Amino acid sequence: MIEIENLNVRFGSAIAVESVNLLVGKGESFGLVGESGSGKSTLLRTVMGLNRNWTGTIRLNNQDIRSAGRAALVRTAQMVFQDPYASLHPRFTVGNALAEPMRINGLPNISRRTAELLELIGLSQDYASRFPHELSGGQRQRVAIARALSLSPRILLLDEPTSALDVSVQAEILNLLNRLREELGLTFLLVSHDLAVISYMCERLMVMQNARTVEVLTRGDLRAGALKQDYTRNLFRASLHGVRPGVQP
Amino acid sequence: MNRSLAVIENLGIAFSGEDGKPVHAVKGVSFSVGREKLGIVGESGSGKSLSCRALMGVLPPSASITASRLEFSGIDLLRASPRTRRQLRGGQMGMILQDPKFSLNPVMTVGRQIAEAVRLGDRRLSVSSIRRRVLEVLESVHIRGPERVYDLYPHELSGGMGQRAMIAMMVVREPELLIADEPTSALDVTVQAQVLEIMDELVRRRGMGLIFISHDLNLVSRFCDRVLVMYAGRIVETLEAGRLAEARHPYTRGLLACLPAIDGPLTPLPTLERQADWREIPA
Ligand SMILES: Nc1ncnc2c1ncn2[C@@H]1O[C@H](COP(=O)(O)OP(=O)(O)OP(=O)(O)O)[C@@H](O)[C@H]1O
Ligand SMILES: Nc1ncnc2c1ncn2[C@@H]1O[C@H](COP(=O)(O)OP(=O)(O)OP(=O)(O)O)[C@@H](O)[C@H]1O
Ligand SMILES: [Mg+2]
Ligand SMILES: [Mg+2]
Repeated sequence: MIEIENLNVRFGSAIAVESVNLLVGKGESFGLVGESGSGKSTLLRTVMGLNRNWTGTIRLNNQDIRSAGRAALVRTAQMVFQDPYASLHPRFTVGNALAEPMRINGLPNISRRTAELLELIGLSQDYASRFPHELSGGQRQRVAIARALSLSPRILLLDEPTSALDVSVQAEILNLLNRLREELGLTFLLVSHDLAVISYMCERLMVMQNARTVEVLTRGDLRAGALKQDYTRNLFRASLHGVRPGVQP
Repeated sequence: MNRSLAVIENLGIAFSGEDGKPVHAVKGVSFSVGREKLGIVGESGSGKSLSCRALMGVLPPSASITASRLEFSGIDLLRASPRTRRQLRGGQMGMILQDPKFSLNPVMTVGRQIAEAVRLGDRRLSVSSIRRRVLEVLESVHIRGPERVYDLYPHELSGGMGQRAMIAMMVVREPELLIADEPTSALDVTVQAQVLEIMDELVRRRGMGLIFISHDLNLVSRFCDRVLVMYAGRIVETLEAGRLAEARHPYTRGLLACLPAIDGPLTPLPTLERQADWREIPA
């Protein structure tokens, strides 16, 4: 569903993604973890056609993104950005933000769908008239997720979708994403620095450091601690080190 | 905790709702912070950011605020002039906002913004030693290639780099009280540990007070000294951080159960059945 071959992305003389290959199957959920600044968001943004200066091949649902039109792409893939401020227009109310992509793409029953989307993310209907600055950080992130879902895309690119959320809302969103993936056969490419979230959500994952791939692991490898590279081992150790303050039996 | 740096008593924050009736976002919040690490956790929308913004004096203009006491370092903030409050914000009080890129100046390079903070701290420094100090502090927050990053604009930073740029700026300024709103949510665990170490050092060595808002319960229980739990605009519980697992309030206990684990089951995560009576302050 997502095929990336020998991707290189540059910003001026700096290289943000170097020689990355990635294959994500239909219906698969694939995780991306790694050092801050290692190129994870850049990779997702490039797949969405938001970067210019790149070489290599990217295919989504068998369409080469260089030749496929913008309209076809947005129906195939949608992205939830790491920084929800960046994806929500400050002068659009929540209701408008949700309805706008549907309107542009000529979808029917927009007001009903908008109401459903709000319900999906656990916000009451009065939030439709609010502006982004009138929301808390986590509420903004939820609206961004609903907006990405509004066009019923086949692929969701999720950049730290729950890192701004408290754990109870995180649990609801992760359950929701899993349910939608199952019901609609969605494919996920999910960035998170939380290995527990990755292990819960993804069948496979890629570890990145300094613009390059460190290794690709299955969920089984991650759970068994079967890691080949030192960088990943450190990451894993640091994650476990955060002992869970025992959930009482 | 010795002397309090900041005291909030009976804070209320309201907005006018659809029908003109006030909507209370924060209700009866009281707490104080000394030279310690005070964590605030709580549901999304429970009023964590707003409460801290009230202390900083950076609420949106549409917010109306009431409090019986709002003090910083013996200064009555309710009576302080806008000028005094501005001076406090630029000096003794610092805040890292939840959206770091939003609080950096979008049209000035990161290096210049930090340089400005360095310069204000010591006006005798030469241009070249200011630059050296900026590169040093960028390195101390583990930013790769500080020379390159010096010349980047905020929108050219990754999420975690933006957070670390904000932290670098605070390290340079050394405020008395630092309010950090989800300051490490975009950092991977290894970088996060290093950055927390820096904040911890400011508390231990400089006697800074730190208010640390985070949804990461593990992190808060490891890193902070005390934790406030907020729910629906109120503080529902105050705990010693290390004893978060012994939380009594059903909301806090429910929160702990919602966490996924690396080796946890793949069945749907438990979620909270929110109860109306959670809105009441427990006896
Ligand atoms: N528009 C841009 N101009 C210049 N450099 C950029 C731009 N966007 C990203 N970069 C650089 O590319 C590198 C990778 O950034 P990216 O945002 O992809 O990292 P990331 O892995 O998502 O990190 P994080 O986990 O902190 O979000 C960084 O060094 C960043 O400074
Ligand atoms: N300008 C505003 N106008 C109206 N309501 C607002 C405004 N700003 C915040 N609110 C509301 O006040 C409540 C508390 O917001 P706050 O930002 O303090 O939440 P929070 O606890 O920081 O949540 P999060 O963890 O999601 O960041 C939310 O329900 C939010 O929608
Ligand atoms: Mg990123
Ligand atoms: Mg907040």
